[in-house]
Amino acid sequence: MKKSMMSMIVVATMAISANATDYRVEKPEAWTAKDVPSAMKALYGNITPQEGAIKLKAPKVASNGGAIPVSVKTDIPAKSIAIFQDVNPEATVAVFAMQEGQVADVALKIKMKKSGTITVVVEGKDGKFYSKSFSLEVALGGCEG
Amino acid sequence: MKKMMLIIASMALMATATMANATATMTPTKVKMKIKAKEKNGIVKAKVAISHNMLTYDQAKKKGKEANFITHITATVGDKVVYDASTSQFLSKNPLIKFAFAGKKGDKIKITYTQLKGEVFFATKKIK
Repeated sequence: MKKSMMSMIVVATMAISANATDYRVEKPEAWTAKDVPSAMKALYGNITPQEGAIKLKAPKVASNGGAIPVSVKTDIPAKSIAIFQDVNPEATVAVFAMQEGQVADVALKIKMKKSGTITVVVEGKDGKFYSKSFSLEVALGGCEG
Repeated sequence: MKKMMLIIASMALMATATMANATATMTPTKVKMKIKAKEKNGIVKAKVAISHNMLTYDQAKKKGKEANFITHITATVGDKVVYDASTSQFLSKNPLIKFAFAGKKGDKIKITYTQLKGEVFFATKKIK
């Protein structure tokens, strides 16, 4: 009896502390969409993002398509930031649910099959959407190996 | 009567044991991660390197293995979430992530990630 109580309490506290948005659970179609416009629509609906004050950095020529450093920085008060690219089997790479106290400054390393364009969309707290794109060359494709 | 009680008690124990096993895959497992978290002027800059094959569906097919990659990463300080990323198979192998948030040294940061099948792993580090 005591054991089941304990496991119930553990599961309950785990559920409470996991109050972060899991976009993989909440927007499953965003992760199977093949092109950037469909992925954007699956994630955010019918939006028309405007070119925004977003610093999107990536190498102009990536020597290793399996590990391309990408960084996104913005002063726009952001609710979420999504990263897409247009050369892999699916378009969505990652979606950040911005947290209170978090600085809109994220970086990660991604895979790209070949040269293409990375698109970042920032969902502003003002309900508007902003985007920035960056095209790069990939010397060695990244989805193999 | 006592025998009946004993049988019922052992059945109950078995039931809770199977329940515990059911949640076992969701029970977070502690792993080693390279976590760097440094505070400066109230902002903590964090850099995390997670050891993970991040096997895409294509790569898995070629190797005759099952795809397995990280799908969700969170960072928490206490019970406050400071980073939350939903991720795809397109993060690099042994993903490296960087982020920043308002925090203070001495606090402990916990990085938790979930992979494709739902298993959860975590590591902690004190903020310097």
